[in-house]
Amino acid sequence: MVNEYFDLVTYGGTLNYYLFELANFSALAFLVLILYKLDFININSFIVWIGIFFSPLLINYFIISPWLFGDQFEYAGEVMSLKATGRSIDNIALMNSKYISPITLSVKILGLIPLPNYMTVTSLAFANKLILFITFLWFKRFFSNENEVLLYFLIPSLVLYSSMALRDTVIIVISIVFIINLIRRKYILPVLLLLPLFFLKIQMFAILFVYILSHVIFQAHKSKNLFGLFICAFVASGFIFEENILEILNLYRLAFAAEAFVAFDGSISYNAWNLYGQDDRVTLELNSILEAVFKAILNLPVLLLIPMPWNWSNIFYPLQSIESCLLIYLYFKLSIEKDMFKNNEFILLTFILIVGLSIYALIMANEGTFVRYRFSLYYPFLLALLYLCRQPNNINKLSKKKLPN
Amino acid sequence: MSFIKKLRVKERIGLSKDLLYELIFTKRSLQALGISLVFSFLIIQFSVPQFYVSSTLREAESPTDQQNIVVGGAAQAILGRASANTGGNFESFRSNMHSYALAQRMWDQGWGSRIYGNGDLDAEYFNAIPKNHKIGDKLAAFFLGYDLFKFYSAHDLQSYIQGSFNPSKPLGSSNIIVSTMTPDKDFAITFMNSLIIETDKYAKERLIQKSKEIIVSTYEQLATSKNSSIASALAGTINSEYFKIANLENDMPYHIYIIDPPHSSEYPVTPNIMAIIFSNAIIFFFLSIFISFIQKNKEDLW
Repeated sequence: MVNEYFDLVTYGGTLNYYLFELANFSALAFLVLILYKLDFININSFIVWIGIFFSPLLINYFIISPWLFGDQFEYAGEVMSLKATGRSIDNIALMNSKYISPITLSVKILGLIPLPNYMTVTSLAFANKLILFITFLWFKRFFSNENEVLLYFLIPSLVLYSSMALRDTVIIVISIVFIINLIRRKYILPVLLLLPLFFLKIQMFAILFVYILSHVIFQAHKSKNLFGLFICAFVASGFIFEENILEILNLYRLAFAAEAFVAFDGSISYNAWNLYGQDDRVTLELNSILEAVFKAILNLPVLLLIPMPWNWSNIFYPLQSIESCLLIYLYFKLSIEKDMFKNNEFILLTFILIVGLSIYALIMANEGTFVRYRFSLYYPFLLALLYLCRQPNNINKLSKKKLPN
Repeated sequence: MSFIKKLRVKERIGLSKDLLYELIFTKRSLQALGISLVFSFLIIQFSVPQFYVSSTLREAESPTDQQNIVVGGAAQAILGRASANTGGNFESFRSNMHSYALAQRMWDQGWGSRIYGNGDLDAEYFNAIPKNHKIGDKLAAFFLGYDLFKFYSAHDLQSYIQGSFNPSKPLGSSNIIVSTMTPDKDFAITFMNSLIIETDKYAKERLIQKSKEIIVSTYEQLATSKNSSIASALAGTINSEYFKIANLENDMPYHIYIIDPPHSSEYPVTPNIMAIIFSNAIIFFFLSIFISFIQKNKEDLW
């Protein structure tokens, strides 16, 4: 069932809203029950996933107003419009004239999930949950301890962002599949996944593109010498393409600063920036790669620890703050397990993660947005590290097999 | 072969059969579907159907503005009366529609009586329609020592218009759509029609009044002015305002042309009966399976 009148009736918080979304929950819970009965998942996974599938019902309208993440209405409106009429909603149709909009692409992917209802703003969240569950089923195959994997799917930010009608879950899932397959030396799927990633989130595309280049061209995961060669090429290309890199970085720095701009008269975003923000433009612009590296190093700890206590403005911020520390701790804990920090694959993985985080540290403006961005980048790398830790022998064997003497 | 072995196909076929007979094909599932139908019927019975009533309007070009620039621009600039038309006709139309002045005019025509009373158009009646306050509001007023309004007024009508009738302009279009959701489509069509016409009429009358005021004050300035160039500019302003009045004192629309008069959707937009029945069926069916599952797997779960 599709709500063809979503622009008129969103059923926000009414009895009908809970009815339609409980039907979506029931369908997903039924699927989990079948998989448990068929012995695909254990009892802990069964109970936890029932809870995870229920979480969208507790977040939108119940704990927070969906307008706190107002983009959800655009995604929901787009999926209803595409399903009901085959056309995009007006403001997205204008953006789609040249390239497909990230919103259209993500809802086309999420819209493939056969849910009973696409009636309210929360319906897409259930589609998010299902693709996350499918990722869990795929990912746990590589582990002997299903419960450990389950714990990594219980991270609060993952539960929160997948409970919303946003594209973050799609990006996270694509990134996880990309990185794990890359580590497993299965290159065709990652190459294919780069295309949707280009339209969904160009920053993520750029980071993972560097990763695949380092793997396929430089073989930087095989030895420290090759990794050194990759670093040299990386630094050299940084200086060769300095102008283009700075142009893109400055564009994003200014765009994010403008989006988060609050003027003295209370006006906000781009309109306020156009009127009052021109003085900040000069201070924000980066003039050299070395300056960019320096600023990235300064901002990186801030990015890793946001939201800071003095910026806590809603209930999720303290939780996310604690979670930031926990995620850093988890990465360090896994890094020192079985001397993982000596593993070439780990070194390359961590280097790419630091490069990605540094880019975000450079363009960081609005805290809420960048907590989300940081998580979308950090989480796939964390799962990849977990994968590396639990299969160290296989990976080392593979590396040795393919290395010439 | 090892891949097929891993899948444990035979074992899982057996488990599927158990699942079907133990949890799905049971008497309880059928009962759940029956209850879901009753529950759906109850929800549908208690739901109020909402129809979508809309009207499409087109922004009219205002010749008076162009004339104003040509003839009276200089004097208006001198007198500091140049009006910045920042939002265009749509913004003016919307602010007029949601204004208290328009609500007062509609109230005087007796629309308040049709919404809050019995439809009697006698001013004595509709100016004294008693307001029913909630017990909580009455108690709060009693304890805090303030008075509640006894009768409905044009302010209530203004709130009703602001809350129910929303003019919008789709991106890249010069059309304006006025829409509302209502259980009483006949009343909404009549009211919307009157609202649109009255909004336009009010805008015209306000401008005529404004022009008349400008003419009066410009005449006063002209009488005291000794500079010939200023006198000439003032005369130009007076001409322009008379031209405006001549343009406005006719039956032509000012802000908008009505392309589609108010009309209602054939079927109610909400409730979606099929979606309600379908959702309830899924919920109750799952509930029956889940209860059976818990009863049979108590030990595993605890």
